[in-house]
Amino acid sequence: MNVLLVEDDPSVGEFIASELATAGYNCTLKSDGLEGLEAALRGDFDIVVVDRMLPSLDGLSIVSRLREAGHLTPVLVLSALAEVEDRVKGLHSGADDYLTKPFSMAELQARLEVLYRRANNPSETQTRLQVADLEMDLLSQEVRRQQDLINLQPREYKLLEFLMRHAGQVVTRAMLLEHVWGYHFDPQTNVIDVHVSRLRQKIDRGFDTPLLTTVRGAGYRLGSP
Amino acid sequence: MRILQVLNSLTFRFIARYVIVLVTTVSLVLCLLYAFFSYNYFSDLRDSVVEELDTFEAVFRGQSLEGVKQYIDDQGAVPASTSFSYLVTDAAGQKLAGDLPSAPRYREFVGGWLSFQLSLLQSEHASEVDFLARSRELDSGLTVMVARSFADAVESGGLVFDTLVRAMIATLMLGIIGGFFTASFALRRMEQFGQRLSRIVREKGGTERMPLEGEEGYLRELTLLTNRMLDQMSVLMQGVRQVSDNIAHDLRTPLTRIRNQLDQLRSGLDPLRQEAVDRVIEECDELLSSFNALLRISALESGSKSSPDAELDLAALLGDVAELYEPLANDKGISLAFYSPAQLSLCGDGDLLFQMFANLLDNAIKYTPEGGQIELRLQSALTGGARVEISDTGRGIPAADRQHVFRRFYRLESSRGKEPGHGLGLSLVQAIVQYHQGTISLANNNPGLRVVVSLP
Repeated sequence: MNVLLVEDDPSVGEFIASELATAGYNCTLKSDGLEGLEAALRGDFDIVVVDRMLPSLDGLSIVSRLREAGHLTPVLVLSALAEVEDRVKGLHSGADDYLTKPFSMAELQARLEVLYRRANNPSETQTRLQVADLEMDLLSQEVRRQQDLINLQPREYKLLEFLMRHAGQVVTRAMLLEHVWGYHFDPQTNVIDVHVSRLRQKIDRGFDTPLLTTVRGAGYRLGSP
Repeated sequence: MRILQVLNSLTFRFIARYVIVLVTTVSLVLCLLYAFFSYNYFSDLRDSVVEELDTFEAVFRGQSLEGVKQYIDDQGAVPASTSFSYLVTDAAGQKLAGDLPSAPRYREFVGGWLSFQLSLLQSEHASEVDFLARSRELDSGLTVMVARSFADAVESGGLVFDTLVRAMIATLMLGIIGGFFTASFALRRMEQFGQRLSRIVREKGGTERMPLEGEEGYLRELTLLTNRMLDQMSVLMQGVRQVSDNIAHDLRTPLTRIRNQLDQLRSGLDPLRQEAVDRVIEECDELLSSFNALLRISALESGSKSSPDAELDLAALLGDVAELYEPLANDKGISLAFYSPAQLSLCGDGDLLFQMFANLLDNAIKYTPEGGQIELRLQSALTGGARVEISDTGRGIPAADRQHVFRRFYRLESSRGKEPGHGLGLSLVQAIVQYHQGTISLANNNPGLRVVVSLP
């Protein structure tokens, strides 16, 4: 995967670049806003990661210029969290995801994977989702595993739907809060884990192969191990 | 209460002290004046008695006893209290001449002066009259005593004393009234100064300053000085905060790097060592999350105070919070009840409000024992806006600690080292409440804690 990283802080930039390189990504680092935009416009990247604050052209302007030029490359905006309403602004400018600093590399990687998959597998209108022997009918909102009907609460259903749509990928707790609950916040405790373990009880109990696994230090993954 | 306040006020105490000094000074002056007057009077009286004795002796030398008797009779026509009285006795003490009774009861003073009291008929009624007297021995055992009443002195002394006392009282009154006005004007300004200053100091991180008086003078100087001091204080406070923010900010990146390197290191290790590395990673995460919280609080506090303009439904938001935390509470055997109107819209930042109520519910669940109850109640406030009450049946917060729990890194003695947490949760809550221009208060729920958040 080709990633363009535009980050002016050299220590942060080099760190992320080297981490991504170790994880098998092909990462290009630019430290100036205009240079970053030029590189992005040349269009040979799968994902662009831009810092919010950059010399000569800020991150959000890069996103809007890219979109004006008709580029649909997924963009993830990084931001120091000094600004409160920035997230909303960031997403409105055409960015696909927004991550506040600091973040763990696991969080960044999980989000990059999701963005990459979404961009490369345009979701045709699906009516059913399937992961191994677990099936979800999006029309009747029925969930079955090996033909056994599983009874889910509305939130559990949304949680499972999100996990199934990102089957095989690592999904972080922050991503679940953002997409399943619709809030971006930092829980002090394992409140998400309780919901996930309830869901796990319902879909994995009594079956030989657990589908919902915890990825230590990162989040969860749904799929056959 | 009001009287006690007046008695305790600086003005009153100042004036009381002033009055005491004034009364003492005035009384001292009064005594001195009176003593001076009496001394003068008596010295005149003594001089006149000695002079009369000299005259008497001259009469005796020239005309012997007969001439003396004649002299005494000549004098007798004058009323007794204003003239001299005489007594001439022989060697045996027998009265030979004079208008005084023989051998009255004397009191003796130094220098041969005597004093006695006689009952005299004066303007139709008898009254005791005091006399000052002096004896002198003439030839052949004859002794003469000349006496003069000092009733006049006592009377005019009384008059002088009265006058003086009246004058002094008038002076005192005028002094007190004048002093009161002068002092209370100056002191009232001082007291206002003090009250205003204490209000500024009470209000944490207040930007208010003392108003400058137009008038030149010491109070203006003091105001300027105080404002400069307040400025310095807030600069220092900001400096301290800035330093801690900078530390948090600068440590975040290397810490993240360490954390991620540990993560990579871990994959090549045997399970026992992996567990040890996991614990270190966990500690890194905790540190990172407290740095984040710290920076977030600072960002909120220094952020624009303009109220967030997005309209949201607080009832729905609280419903989501309650739904998110209910399984956690139920796992601990705690019941979580949510009461709310169908809809309550206000302006705010949804993510921040969610964070705030999540923190509060999180605390409630953390500190409530198994079998407890937590209530989350939303009402529209009478003054407009919303009132959210979160009450639990946990161990609560002692009254003495309630004002401190919002401080950064403040943790109750009873939970330090026992419960996880970095002591920033409530600071963040307060920062969010203030960002929304709301108020938060803590109360006793008997047992437990009741948190009331009011949002405009």
